Amino acid sequence: MAVPILRQGPYLIATVMAAIEDHDWQRLGADLVSLTGGDRAKGVLLDVTNLDVLDSFAARTLATIAQTIRLRGAMTVLVGIQPEVAFAMVQLGLAGRLAGIATALDLVDGMATLDRSVHGAWRHG
Amino acid sequence: MGVTPEEVAERKAFLEFDDRDVGHLQELTGLAQQYAVPVIEAFYRHLLSFPVGQEFFEDRALLERVKQAQVRYFLDLTTGDYGPDYVENRLRIGAVHERIGLPVDADLGMYNFYLRDVSKRLFEAWRDKPERVLTAIQSLLKLVFLDIGLALDTYIDHRERTIRLQQRAISDLPTPVLQLREGLLLVPIVGLIDSSRARQLTEQLLQAIRANRAKVVVLDITGVQAVDTKVANHLVQTMEASRLMGANVIVSGLSPEVAQTLVVLGIDLGNVRTVGDLQVAIDEADRFLGYQADRSGVARQPES
Repeated sequence: MAVPILRQGPYLIATVMAAIEDHDWQRLGADLVSLTGGDRAKGVLLDVTNLDVLDSFAARTLATIAQTIRLRGAMTVLVGIQPEVAFAMVQLGLAGRLAGIATALDLVDGMATLDRSVHGAWRHG
Repeated sequence: MGVTPEEVAERKAFLEFDDRDVGHLQELTGLAQQYAVPVIEAFYRHLLSFPVGQEFFEDRALLERVKQAQVRYFLDLTTGDYGPDYVENRLRIGAVHERIGLPVDADLGMYNFYLRDVSKRLFEAWRDKPERVLTAIQSLLKLVFLDIGLALDTYIDHRERTIRLQQRAISDLPTPVLQLREGLLLVPIVGLIDSSRARQLTEQLLQAIRANRAKVVVLDITGVQAVDTKVANHLVQTMEASRLMGANVIVSGLSPEVAQTLVVLGIDLGNVRTVGDLQVAIDEADRFLGYQADRSGVARQPES
């Protein structure tokens, strides 16, 4: 199941609606990376609100996607990780894999994070 | 507390207390009845010549009651029946002593006094039969040491129970998650952090982050006296989980001792923002949130 990627101003928004297979994660990564360059997107919002599991493969892929996107000149914000998912990831020791990715509570906050980053107004953390 | 029959049997075996000893002790019954009152009177005279005794037995009625109980205790030593009832009775006496706060050394002193006084009287009564005296005293020693063991157990058991209760009370302390300002949560942690408490705290905090749309969480650990590897890991996990939900965590209140322990243990808190006290943490959080609120896109430098 392909993940739709929307464009909102200078940002790309990918909302993962339901649990997806490993190869869908990889495809999502490839799509995002190519769009980042092509559309001159400044930021990517990856919305995982609807997921109740983020396994080790997903975590690793997300980290890879974010790194690659950064090399292409844009920033990735992972939004909508649910409390249960966060707790489970920490228990499984997966949180460290996402250490390099910005996170936000939801799309609104994620957008604000990108705004700040793009405008260079905030350099904390 | 209860001591199983097997345990009692084991203790008796260790003391080499057997049927012959029961026989020796039974032979003392007549003498014991004769000596019980004078020996106990002598002991209480002795005890009352010390401040601890005077303090304890200001109440004369209490003194009389205790003396009577002692007479019964004394006579029980030579009945020949050292079964479950005997053990139960010994444990109860120990529990009473513990409850009234009789110091252990006074308790031990009593056993010592009785043994000395009784052996003296035995030698006087059986001057011509020193071997009989010796075996009787040896049997008595075994039984009294069994008693002492049981009495000490009640003391230890009671203290352990108190410690357990207190530990539970400490770990049951609620850890409130407080909203201090919009987007800012404060979690003051007091007492011991064990796995179950850490888990509960993390779950509670994550829910609160979502419910309050928190962007900064201040974990104040001023009230945490001891931090070891496990506790530190719990804290790190709480922080990582919070970050996954988009909230920044600031830890405040690391005492010098705690900081030193962490360094000595080699626990890396490099990714964790730590500050000295709560005030600095709140200042920092405010500064952070100030930027959050600024959506005009105009860059503004922090005040400090």
